Formats: sequence, structure tokens, C-alpha cells
Amino acid sequence: MKLKLLIISILLISIGAFLGWLFGFPLKAPERKDFVIKARQYSYDPPKLDVNLGDTLHIKLVSLDVIHGFYLEGYDIDAEIKPNVKLFKVRQPSEGFNWKDTSEISIVVNKTGKSRYRCSHTCGNMHPFMQGEIIVHPNRLLHISIGVLIGFVVSILFIFYQLIKKMKRHE
Amino acid sequence: MNDDDKILTKETDNETFVQEPIGYNYDNNIEALISENTGYKNQNTSPFLISEPKGFKYDIFNKIPIIKKMAKSRYFQYALMVPNFFVFYVIIISGFIGTPIGNRNIAIVVLWILWWFILIALLVPLAARFWCTMCPLPIFGDFLQRFSFLKVRTGKTGYLRNKMFGLNKKWPKRFKNIWIPNFTFLTLCTFSAILVTRPFVTSIVLGSMVLIATFLAMIYRLRVFCGHICPVSGFIGLYSKTSTLELRSTNEEVCKKCKDKGCLRGNEKGWGCPWGEDMGVMKRNNYCGLCMECVKTCSNDNISLNIRSFSAETKIKGYDESWKGFIDVGTSHAYSLIYLGTNGTLKDWVNAPESGNWTGFFIYVVSLWALSLLIIPGIFYLLSYLTKAIAKVKTVSIKEIFKAYSYILLPVGLLAWMAFSFPLIFVNGSYILNVISDPLGWGWDLFGTAEVQWQPLIPEYLGYIQIFLLLLGLGYSIYRGFFIGQKLFNSAVIALKALIPFAVLASIIAVAFILFFIG
Repeated sequence: MKLKLLIISILLISIGAFLGWLFGFPLKAPERKDFVIKARQYSYDPPKLDVNLGDTLHIKLVSLDVIHGFYLEGYDIDAEIKPNVKLFKVRQPSEGFNWKDTSEISIVVNKTGKSRYRCSHTCGNMHPFMQGEIIVHPNRLLHISIGVLIGFVVSILFIFYQLIKKMKRHE
Repeated sequence: MNDDDKILTKETDNETFVQEPIGYNYDNNIEALISENTGYKNQNTSPFLISEPKGFKYDIFNKIPIIKKMAKSRYFQYALMVPNFFVFYVIIISGFIGTPIGNRNIAIVVLWILWWFILIALLVPLAARFWCTMCPLPIFGDFLQRFSFLKVRTGKTGYLRNKMFGLNKKWPKRFKNIWIPNFTFLTLCTFSAILVTRPFVTSIVLGSMVLIATFLAMIYRLRVFCGHICPVSGFIGLYSKTSTLELRSTNEEVCKKCKDKGCLRGNEKGWGCPWGEDMGVMKRNNYCGLCMECVKTCSNDNISLNIRSFSAETKIKGYDESWKGFIDVGTSHAYSLIYLGTNGTLKDWVNAPESGNWTGFFIYVVSLWALSLLIIPGIFYLLSYLTKAIAKVKTVSIKEIFKAYSYILLPVGLLAWMAFSFPLIFVNGSYILNVISDPLGWGWDLFGTAEVQWQPLIPEYLGYIQIFLLLLGLGYSIYRGFFIGQKLFNSAVIALKALIPFAVLASIIAVAFILFFIG
């Protein structure tokens, strides 16, 4: 009985995960997308970039008030943006402090889901909470986790249902 | 009849009472269990019941005697409190004299990044109120009440057999709950964006808490501030119900026969419980500060420190506790939006002293308070109504359903707070290295880490940790919810039907957090 319930639960959760994974299809063809991200205390505009897997992003960075940072998780990019200056500094954190001046960052998004960009230069009181996000569709982690969650909840309820049924049979 | 012959209960308002019935064999007495949980015996429902797994128990004192020896020592609590006391006062002083830039001041970084994470992710889920054991806030109050750190004074103060100083008034019965902590917590959360980013505000709040704790200790008996005022205590107390640690009597029968009540009243070996708990009847973690006085004072050596299953304790006693659950769900959602979100307008609203957007701040305050105090409880009431309709049991009131099922918010709520706290430490943890070398932001470099570049730790994996935590919390909420329903309705069939609305609510809460974190 226990093994049977366990197998059914795993099956339900797997079905949830699979349906969540399917939700991400069909994939859209990659394309070039241009963004100008304006940083100000304590947010970015736009706060969220919706892109598709394989897109090439060309990002210009502007600061509207003080010096801000732009650390993009998962892409080894960190930038420092000074106000009223078209060029900004960029580096690859994995290679230390080798800053270069540039007017644009170009990246190919190769990971689905959410990547955050955060301010990496102390810019004021709420600095640690200044962030934006790139959502790379299909957001598989999101879809699969919601599928798993639904499968998980159904499997718990199903286990209780089966236990009650078994108890009634014994009666 | 002398004092020793009087029979006491944990209700310490009056000096003499009839003792509460204790020592039922709950495991074999479902009726007693139902009564214990709801004060109600259901006679018209199905007899089908699924037995709740007993869960894991490991008696630490029994298995590791050195820990019991340490707990019995009078040095125990102060060995934890005193180092904390020094850290705490460094924090307060740093807040006043250090840099006003939050992430460069040790006051903010240690308290709101390091301490917060340790409290939420480790201490509360694994060690209940162990923070209260070492909390330095009441140290002056304790001293002024006892006029001693290590020496125990015998004598008489009300029902206590310890000589206590101060006015020793009784705390009003109507405030013997966590309503005040509910409001103090919600107030602090309302101003959190100012509190957690301005070092001097943090210091003022902490300093005020010390003053209030000390002042109340001089007027009222025992640790009134800790039990019924402290904003953090209400939070810790409620979520300690889910914790894997408990301090309990080893054998209830021994307590039942005990007339000494050293745990409650104190004796020459230790002080009467500073939280007013009687170990003979204490079955919940809510008000156990783990100070270990009862381990010293129990004349029967009948106290156990147990590791137990997660969320093993499900009884919600009053609406104050239900509302605490609602407030915590409301504030954790708000925190996720403010601190992990990207909305600049919302950040301006909560940061009104800097942005000047006081209208936005007002909207935020009204929204947060309405969400926590009215909207979530309102939804919960509607679900209770729906559950009552589904259960079709006339003898269980909506109020009983509302109160009992509000426990469902605790496992998922605590794990959601943990999921919220992980990014704080993993993303901002490198600031800890900076402030260790330069605690005041004055340009020092004591250990060569002052200029370590900010670097988030495994940010791309945080989503997986958060999802795991949320699923775990959700699973426990639904699992415990079934047995809460079974105790309430005395029927597994009805419990399963009644669970569905609350399982849906808990799932929606978890999905909302998943959307915040990875959506």
C-alpha cells in the first residue's frame, strides 16, 4: 500500500512537472532586442525585460541621479554607470577589476527563467534592494514548479483519500 | 494551609487555583484529544479516524547528559547573554556614531542581514525560542528584579518562592496574549524600510526596547516585556510551535502529583519561571523562553529537552495567535514585494522620508494594515464558512474552525519567511566581510576585508532553494491541516472535505511566493 501510494504520488508530481514543462512550447525564434535601462534611486526603468531564449540583447545603461551599478546574475557582467555620461564602465567579475569603457552591453540570453540585475555600487539608503529582472521565456522553472506544486498537493489529498478508503474497506 | 500546600495552575494571576486536569493519555483517548483541542466533543460524526503518526522524539538531556549539566548551571544563560550583550551594544553605538550608509554600518548588516537570517532560517525552525535564551534586551530588567546575576534569592513574592525587587504588579489579564506584539510587530514592519536602512533608527528602536523592557520589569512581575510586548517575541513564539525543539515535563504523572511546583514558583536552586509557565501543564512552545530555570528548580528532575518532528504542535488557543499568522503572511508578502521586487514606485512609497512621497506612504500603510488585519482574516473567515458548509456538522462553530485551521498558515508561513530570507544573506552577505573590517564605515581595514567587492553568492540557485522550502512548508500545512480537521470533526472523511478550501488557500499563498521569487 505504502509503495503503491508513493509511486502514484511520484507519478502525479511528475505529470504536474511535465505539463508545466509543456507549457513553455512552442519556442519563439531568437531575435535582436534593444533596451535602454535608466537607473535611479532605487530602481531601474524598465524594471523587467521580457525576452525569449536565444535573443540577443543590446543594452544601454543610463543613470538619472547618482553612480549606480548593474550586476547581471548568471552572465558575469558588472557595470558602473555615472550620471549624464553616455559611456559606462563594464567588467567581468570572474576576471577581477579589468574595467572597460563602453556604450552598450551585448549578450545572448542562454538560460531560461529569471535573472536579476542589481545595483553593485552603493547608491543610498535602499541600495541593497535596488534590482530589476530579465525574464527569459519560456520560464521553465516557474512552470515546472507550479506543476509540481499542484501535483504535490493533489498527491497529499489523494493519499488521505486512499487511506480513508482502505479504512472503510476494513470496517 | 501554607503556600506549599496550595495547588497552582499555570494561570499565575491569582495566587490560589484549582489545578488544571493534566496527564491524560491523549494517544488512546480521542475524545480527550478533541476536547483538548477544541473544548468540544462531537457525537454525531463518523467514527472513521486515521491515526496521526506519533512523530520523532529524542530526549537530549537523557542521551547527552553534559547538556543537562550545562542547563543546570547558573552560568548557562549568562554565558549566552553576556557575549550577545556586548555585540548588541556595539550595534547600538555603531548606529549612532557610525556611517549613515546602512550597508556600510555593522548595526544594519549584522542585525538585519546576519541576525535576521540566523533567527528565521536556523533558530526558530530548529531551536524554538532559543534566541530568547540569549537575548540581551531584558538583561537590565532581570538584574533589577533579582539584584543578582548568579545568586538565587529565596523568599516570597506573590506565588513565587523567590525574593524579587520592584513593584511586582500582576500584568493585566486582558493583555496576557500577543495582541500587543501583533501591533508592535506590524508597526515595525510598516516602518521597516526606514528601520533596516538607517543605522540610527535601528539604534533608537533597540535602545527603546531595552528601556521599555527594564521599565516594565520594575513595575510588573516576571518577563512581561518578553511575553506580551516584544514585537519579535510574538513572531518567534508563534512559529516556535512548528519548531523541532521543545522543553517539556518528562512524565506528566510526576507533575500531576507534584505539590512543590518548583518550575513555576522557584526555590533555592533557581528562579520561578520568568514566563509564568507551569511545566506540568505546558504543552506548547509559545511562551517557553528556554531559560532552563525549570531544569534547575524541578525537585523531581522531570524536565526533558526534546528534538521532535517539525510542526508537531498544532493547537491555536486564541484569536491573537490566529491574527499573528495572518499578519505574518501579509507582511511576508509585502516584504517580498518591497525588498525582492523591482517596483520603484513602491520603494518610493515605503521610503517616504527620502522620496517625500507621503501620500504613497499612506497608501502603503493602509494597504498593509488592511491586508494583514482585515483582508486575509476575511478570506479565512469565508473559507471557514465554506468548510462549515462542506462539513455539515452543526456542533462545530465557524469560530472553532477559523481558530483551529489558522495553524495551517504557520508551516507555509515560516518556510516562506525562510525563502524570503535566503536572498538577503546570499546576495548581501559580502557586506558582512566589509563591516567586520570597518564596523563604523570610517575607512578602517582591521582584517583586510573592508574593500572586498560586493558579490552575490549562488544567485542563480536561490530559486531552487526557495521552491523547495515553499513546497516543504505547503506539504506540512496540508498534512497537519488534515489531522486538525480530524480532531475537530472526529471524522477522517469530513476532515478531508474540510481541508480542501484551506489546502487551496495555502497553495495560493505558496504560488504567490513562487511568482515573487522566480516568476
